[in-house]
Formats: sequence, structure tokens, C-alpha cells
Amino acid sequence: MSKSNSDFSVVGKRIPKLDAAQKAMGRAEYIQDIKLPGMLYGRILYSKYAHANIVKIDTSKAVALSGVHAVLTGEDVPEKMKMGFIKDNPPIKKGKVCSFRDEVAAVAAISPEIAKKALDLIEIEYEEQIGIFDPEKAMEKDSPLVHGHLKSNVLKMPWDIHYGDVEKAEKESAFVVEDRFTTQWVTHCCLGTSGAIALFDANDNLTIHTNTQIPSLAQKDFLESLKAMGLENKRVRVIKPIIGGGFGSKLDTYAYEHIAILLAHKCRKPVKIAFDRVEEFKATSTRQPTIIYIKQGCDKNGKLTFRDMRMVLDNGAHTSWGATTPSVMLMPISSLYRVENVKYVAKCVYTNNTYSQAMRGYGNPQATFAIESSMDMLAEKAGIDRIEIRRINRNQSGDETPQGLKITTCGLEECIDAVEKELKFDGKNEKGVGTGIASLIHVGGGARIYGSDGCGAILKMDDYGKVDVFTGGTDMGQGLDNIIAQIVAEELGLLAEDINVVHSDTDICPWDVGAHASRSTFVAGNAALGAAKKVKQKIQKFASKLFDVPAEKIEFKDKLVFVPGDQEKSMPLGKLLRKAHFSPGGTMLMAEYFYDPDNQNMGKELKGNMSMTYSFGAHGAKVKVDEETGKVEVLEYVAAHDVGRAINPLLLEGQVYGGVVMGLGYALTEEVTVKDGEIMNANFRDYKLFTAKDAVKIKAPIIETDDKDGPFGAKGIGEPGCVPTAPAIANAIYDAVGVRIKDLPITPEKVLVALKKKND
Amino acid sequence: MKAFKYLSPKTVEEAIAFHGQHSETSKFIGGGTDVIVKLKEGWMEPDFLISLKKIEEMSELHKNEATQELSIGAMVTHATLEKSLMIQNDYPIIYDAVSNIGSLQVRNVGTIGGNLINAVPSADGAIPLIALDGVALLHGPDGERSCDVKDIFVAPYKTILKPGEILKKIAIPPQASNTGSAYIKFGRRAAMELPLIGIGVLLTLDETKEICIKARICLGVAAPVPMRAFGAEKLLVGKKINEEILIEAGKIAADESKVRDSVRGKAWHRKEMIRVHVRRIGLKCLEIIKNNS
Ligand SMILES: Cc1cc2nc3c(=O)[nH]c(=O)nc-3n(C[C@H](O)[C@H](O)[C@H](O)COP(=O)(O)OP(=O)(O)OC[C@H]3O[C@@H](n4cnc5c(N)ncnc54)[C@H](O)[C@@H]3O)c2cc1C
Repeated sequence: MSKSNSDFSVVGKRIPKLDAAQKAMGRAEYIQDIKLPGMLYGRILYSKYAHANIVKIDTSKAVALSGVHAVLTGEDVPEKMKMGFIKDNPPIKKGKVCSFRDEVAAVAAISPEIAKKALDLIEIEYEEQIGIFDPEKAMEKDSPLVHGHLKSNVLKMPWDIHYGDVEKAEKESAFVVEDRFTTQWVTHCCLGTSGAIALFDANDNLTIHTNTQIPSLAQKDFLESLKAMGLENKRVRVIKPIIGGGFGSKLDTYAYEHIAILLAHKCRKPVKIAFDRVEEFKATSTRQPTIIYIKQGCDKNGKLTFRDMRMVLDNGAHTSWGATTPSVMLMPISSLYRVENVKYVAKCVYTNNTYSQAMRGYGNPQATFAIESSMDMLAEKAGIDRIEIRRINRNQSGDETPQGLKITTCGLEECIDAVEKELKFDGKNEKGVGTGIASLIHVGGGARIYGSDGCGAILKMDDYGKVDVFTGGTDMGQGLDNIIAQIVAEELGLLAEDINVVHSDTDICPWDVGAHASRSTFVAGNAALGAAKKVKQKIQKFASKLFDVPAEKIEFKDKLVFVPGDQEKSMPLGKLLRKAHFSPGGTMLMAEYFYDPDNQNMGKELKGNMSMTYSFGAHGAKVKVDEETGKVEVLEYVAAHDVGRAINPLLLEGQVYGGVVMGLGYALTEEVTVKDGEIMNANFRDYKLFTAKDAVKIKAPIIETDDKDGPFGAKGIGEPGCVPTAPAIANAIYDAVGVRIKDLPITPEKVLVALKKKND
Repeated sequence: MKAFKYLSPKTVEEAIAFHGQHSETSKFIGGGTDVIVKLKEGWMEPDFLISLKKIEEMSELHKNEATQELSIGAMVTHATLEKSLMIQNDYPIIYDAVSNIGSLQVRNVGTIGGNLINAVPSADGAIPLIALDGVALLHGPDGERSCDVKDIFVAPYKTILKPGEILKKIAIPPQASNTGSAYIKFGRRAAMELPLIGIGVLLTLDETKEICIKARICLGVAAPVPMRAFGAEKLLVGKKINEEILIEAGKIAADESKVRDSVRGKAWHRKEMIRVHVRRIGLKCLEIIKNNS
């Protein structure tokens, strides 16, 4: 039987972030705050062109500058040192640059100022080449090549999928809609900018302090770099400082990290590279931009018959996780609503633009923008109410989708109900005001992308009833530490503040695949829970001797270990631990646990149940469109999510609010403006991130479906907040003034152009 | 950022004298919200920063009851203006402009004088002061002089101020009765936003409250320097003011503007926004006049 929140004493409670005071008081140490003895400052020189041959580099003046310890160019980078999952990106380029973001040299000096000066002294002669910036043009046969040694700009990726029979289903459909949607480059805008400090010990073992969401995978990348440098069988220790936001930006390693390693090795001193905001905009990756063609149909009752989608993805000049976002886009394409016949083809195309990475939602916001806009168009064409068509096609518990996703619990219907309850969808709005709805599906129980989707936890109890949990998981501001503390505290009858979560050091913490795919609460949570259960059993065993009762009779609550109904048989946990420790043949209470969910890799056919469970949601927006200026004002916003169970509703709402505001920026204002490969708005003045004053009031109804596999029933909820935001807004704008904007962001200019066109 | 010496003179004369000693390598600083950014980005590298903060008379804001002239010290911050009931009630156009500059933090230190002398086309503070026929009082090595606020600007980042010259204060002449004024910054965001276009309108009606006897239509980001739309103003003077004529004025003002395409916005849209907002702000002025009587 499923438990209700009143059965818990710590889980389900609105416990503020345990590190809030430390951060608010400025005591948290970010990479910018860390200074090691003898540390040098590294800086990177970037290309002046989107596409050019490097004819000559003269570093002599930089080398001669007093205070400079090392100057590196592409010539100094070992041939095999390359980044990205297809290893097409050396940390410093040699002979040729393919984007403005390409690194051409780096220096280490005794101060950031001298490092900067040294960069100014490096003389480079370029020979400019024709750049290619439009991915659809780059696909044409006679297009110039971004990488001359390849035959085509189109990457070899497996995204060509067909479930069921789309052609047949299309013929049998009563209504079909078709359109083209496009989404822009946006970027994570972490308030803490990127940075790393690398240092080698006397035996050439590396320690690197770096902002990463993937300590274990980064360790692997760095080991590969060491190997390329001829340093075999060395150790790499990754230490994570406190991170000021991740959002996917730290799921791959970056050139600056590998360059810091090269510089540190050359100088035999710690080298720090820390980005300023401009560099953060220019040299970190964006969300994957897309060109989306979608066609879908339904029968005369509104039941979806097929969905056919084709995408062109601008890969930029090098390859990172952006090129794999189709693996996640496939999820909403195949499985948002019940649809049996699905086709999806995506082409990733090299251009001389910046390259993309993981970003909250990992492709899902892009795909959902097209799907949910198209759902409204289909509803209109079929003459069916927008909410009704979603109800008709909603996913349900027990479904298995064409992709092979097994929907264990599904609260989509309740989410739609919650949105409808909060917003009026009766069409009786004043002029210029309208409502819109859009739904989402996302992985909520891990995501098996690698061979392992696991996370380890080590749990150690001290003599006083306090606990240290060493987790593989990564807290980057989202509050995983709290969640783990609450889960462990619940299990052991303690308070959240009794639990110290350590997550910062690969020398200490076990392996984890990374803080991605909304998986940390589910996977790291289950790992910590597993360790807590093991330790609990050990304590029970010890107490069973002490109290002379069977182990299963022993319970934990309010820091006591006791036998219910027997007042004699009760002892503070700390005292019991001391007894265990200081008796003859004493024991320390520790446990380790590795949780690897029973989810599946997608095979060659791109099928498989990649997550143990799926999160669902529905967002509703009420907007007002100023028909003279084109400006859109969001009046109300409702974001309802099926979260399994809210381990901490306060943090959960924070995730939803943050996600929605990120999504609203995506929908309305944010765009990395790129002109011939060059970023034109590398600052917060011109990159229109929402401010506190722009943020709207958000209602976030929480639907709890108590998932059988989640820790205390929880599913992941890190990403969903920004997934269906843009289509909810686009649908509301259409409802308000009858224009459909298919190109993000929905700027006043675009709305005004569309209105003029409509009124002409 | 290059190291510099920070000087805090207590009088205007002292500040001018400091500047005289190191005229090539010193820079005045008000609130520093523009200067510090430029220092950090390496656009300027002075050896001396001469702060005007300790010069008391430059931070004074007051209205002469006898002459009804308003005097705004150049060092008066946006926040001081924003919080002043007198500004809120009698000079809504100033309130509209300064209360939407940057963020609270920026308004707490940024000054009206710095806003003018920084001389960007998007300076929010410039538009209301031009609309109110503000007069700038300058003090330099050669003594004092004055000029209309609208004549301060030469080009982006360039003013008529001579080396060592300080903007001491801005004088706003008494306002006629039946005057209404308002400003709007049209941008994408609600805060931390430079205007895509800034529109300020001031209208004075005769005793009948029908006929316009004075009109100011001032535009920011519509040209390299803040500008007045003289043609649109001329159309309104002597006429009965209603929505139709404001629509006409909006069209003329849009045509007079020299808006450009930029990364931030398209010229056609800026024009369109001038057209729309001259009417909207004009109507707001009429509303203000009506409510004040
Ligand atoms: C985050 C941020 C947001 C902003 N938002 C806006 C906005 O929305 N709208 C807007 O218009 N501006 C904005 N600004 C720009 C700036 O804040 C304003 O222009 C402000 O009014 C400048 O005043 P200050 O006192 O800080 O000037 P300072 O930086 O001290 O000086 C600016 C210039 O004027 C000179 N100067 C200053 N005072 C005098 C004087 N009395 N006599 C002679 N020369 C002088 C200085 O030498 C310097 O060249 C923003 C700035 C920041 C950093």
C-alpha cells in the first residue's frame, strides 16, 4: 500500500537548503575563491575568424614577457589529446581554425593581468576561408567543408528511426497537420563562471579542482589526456568546489580544463584558468539549436495516428553532447501521448558556428515545442477542444510506448486537470488575452546512456549519532545534499542536519555517471537509501543482542533506537553506537551501496526502457499580447508535475520555478545572437536573461504517484520545469491574437510581423 | 584593471584644480556605474579618479519656492529622484525615467550627472531633462557657463564639456500650469534594460485645457544623441489635442527619427514603437493634466 506524507518524519518536509546560510554569507568557496600556493594564472587566446588557416604563429614576444611561465600553441598539444565523444576537438587547434571559439594559444603567468598581456603579444597570421553557417546549406552537395578531411558536413549519427507504419497511418488519418519550427541557441547562464585549477605532484599524478557535473567521467577524460601526454598509469583526483549552477553545461570536459593540465605539467606549478563573463558566453557551449519539420495526424475522434519528425541540427565546428540530444528528443517524439506510428530522422551538420552541449531537458524542450504547438494545430483542424485532445491521447500507467518505454506510474491526467482548474480555458478572455497548455514526459528514474547508470554511496556513523554520507552524486546548487540527507535521516530516525553529505572528491567518493537526466534524486537517492538500510540492519543486529529481541522488532525515531511498547528497551542512537564501538571486539558502523537501476540501453534499433520511471507534467499559461507593440506579458503560469513523491516540496518548487523562468526566457527573450559565426551579445546587457522583475508568479501543483522504484516513491524533477514552457506560451499567444509563432524566441518583432500579415 | 589613485575633493574648485594637475591622466567619477565598467574592460586607464561625491552642493535636490525653479545637483542619484515625492508629483517624466534605470543597486549609486555626461544614445535620464527644457550649469578651469541639456551631446560618448569641466547641476525652469509629462522606456526586460527606444512627451495646454501651447517630444536611441522631434512638436502647438492628432505626431516623430538596425533591435520596429508610444504617452500627459486640475 502506498504511503502518505504523514507517515514520514523528514521526507516530504520543507527543509531549507542546508548550505543556504553559508552561501548567503559569502562563505561558500567557489573556484574563483580558491588560491593554491605558487599558483599561476592561465589564459586562452581564441580565433579571430570563423574559418581560417593558421599561416604563422609567433609567440616569442609573449615568451619574453617577464612573469610568463609558459606559452602553448597547437604544436604543443599531443596528437591524441582530443575532446568530445567522437574526439574531433583538440584543446588547442593546429594549422586551422573552424570557429571563433577555437583555441589557438594559451599562456600561464604569475598574474591574470600578465597572462592577458602575453596573449596580446602573440602574433598570428591567418588566411581566411569561406565559412558556412547555415546547417541546411552545409548539407548541400557542393557546400564548402568545415573539416576538409571529411567527405561531408553531415555527421555519422544513428538518428533514423521508424516504429510502426507511418505512411499507412497517414493515409488513414482524418486530419493531418504539417509545419516547420525552429529553435535558437541559448546558453546556461550559470552565475558561477567556469574555471579549473590543475596541479601535478612529484610523481606526475594530477589533481584538478574543477566545476563539473561528472566527476567520474571527467576523471576518465583527464586520464586519457594524461595518457596522450605520455603519462601512463597515473592517478587523477577530481575535486569539485562549490558550483554556481550547472544546467548541463558541465557534462563534458572543456578545452580550458585540458589546457590547465598541459600548462600545469609544463610549469610544474598549479595553474588556474577562470573565465570572465564574456569568455563564459563565447567559450562554453549552448543548447542545441534545431530546425524541425513535423507532421502528425489523428482520426476523426482525435486519437493520434502518427507522428513524423525530421530535424536538422547545427552541430557547430566540433562535437559535444548536443549531437546526441536526439536520443532524448526521441522520448517525447515517440512517447508524449499515445501514438503508435512514429518516424524520426535527425541530421547533425558541421558548420563554423559554436558547438552545443547538454542543457536542462537535453533536446526535450526543442522537440516538445514542435509537438505541442502542432497538437494545438491538429486540435483546431479536427475541431476538438485543445484540452480534450490531450486527454484523449494521454499516457497512462501501465503503457508501453513504441520506443519501449514502460510507463509505471503516470499522473499526466491529474496534471492536465490541475492546470485546467487554475486557468480558465473557456475562451472568454478579454481582447489580447489568451491561454495555452502543453504537456511533457521526461526520464524520472535515471537514464541508461552509458554501460552503467549507477551511483555509489558510502555511509559512516560516528560515535554521536551523526552520519557522513559519501555520494557519487553531484550537488551543483540544485540541493542534492538536502535530498540525500532527508532520505538517510528518514531511514535512520534522525534529523536532516544530522547528515553530512560529502560529494566533492573522487579520492573519497564512489563512482557516479553524473548529475544529468534528472537522475540524482532517484539514483543517488536510492544509493544512499541502500547504504542507510544496510547500516540500519547492522544496528538492529547489535541492538537485538543488547535488548534481547528479534532484530526486526527494533525501530528508529527521534534519534532513538527502541522496541515499540517496551520503555526499558530504548537507547539514544549515539549511545548505542559508542557501545558498539568501545566494547571488546568493537565495531564501527559503516556501509556501502552501489545502485544501478534496472533500465535499458537503447540498442541498435533505438528501442528500450531507458528509465525506470517517467515524470509527467502539464503547463498552462495566460498571456496578454500588446497588439501594437508585439510584446507578450505572462499574466499567470501553472506548472503541474507528477513527481512520484516530493522528498522536499520547497526544493522541488524551487526546481520548478527555476525551470519555468528558464523556459520563459527560452520562449520569449533569450537568444545567443550569432552573425557569421560570431557571438554578438556576449554579456547580460544584451543576452536577455529574465530578471527577478520579469519573473512571473508561478503555481506549481505537485502530483504524487508514489513510484515503486523511487526512493520513498520519488521521481526526478530537475529538468521538466523548462520543457513545455515555450509551447504553452506559443499556444497562449495563438489563443490571444490568432498568430502562431514557430520560431523561438517569440520577440515583439516576430509577433508584430505575424499580426500585420494576418491583418493584411 | 590598472591601479589608480582615488581623490576626494570637497569643493568644485578643488576638483578642477586636481584635474588641472594631471589633466591627461585623470577622470571624474560620480557613482561610477559607467566608469568602473570601462575601467574593468580596459576602455580607460586613468592614473587618478577624482570623485565628486564629497562635494555637498552637487548632491542637492531642491525647488526654489519663490521662483519655482528646480535644481538637481549632478551628483543626485537616480534613487534619490525616484523616492522624492516632489519629483513623483510635479515631474512624473523624471520619475518614469529614473525609476526604471538598471536595478535598485545601480540606481542607489548612479547619478543623473553621470548619466548625462556618459552620453550614450540610450541614456534614460537625458530625455526628461531635455523635455523639461533643463539647463546645465558647467564649471571648469575657465569658470562657469551654461547650456541647454539637449546641447550637451555631440556624439556617442562625446559631450561639449572641455577637459576639467564639471557638470555642477541642472536647472529646470518653472513649469506652466496645465502641463503633463511622461516617459516610457521600451525594452524587452522589466529591469537591467537599456531602452530599444525611449520616448518622452511633455504637453502644456492653455487655460481652456484644449489647445496645446507647448509640446516636447524627445527620443532616446533614435539618433546618435538624444533628440527632439521638432516637426511633431510643431504639429501639436496651437492645436486641439486629441488621439487623432497624437497619431499624426507619432508618425512624424517616427519619420524624423534616425533609428538604425542593430543587434539589439530592428529600425522598423523602433520606428513603429515611436509611432505607437507618442500617442500613448501623449494621452497619458492629457490624463495627468486632467487629474491635476
Ligand atoms: C548594470 C547597469 C545597468 C544600467 N542601466 C541603465 C539604464 O537602464 N539606463 C541608463 O540610462 N543607464 C543605465 N546604466 C548606466 C549608468 O548606470 C548610468 O548612466 C548612470 O546614471 C551613470 O552615473 P554614474 O554616476 O554612475 O556615472 P559615472 O560612471 O561616475 O560617470 C559616467 C561618466 O560621466 C563623467 N561624469 C560623472 N559625473 C560627472 C560630472 N558631474 N561632471 C562631469 N563629468 C562627470 C565620468 O567621468 C564618466 O565619463 C546602467 C549601468 C549598469 C552598470
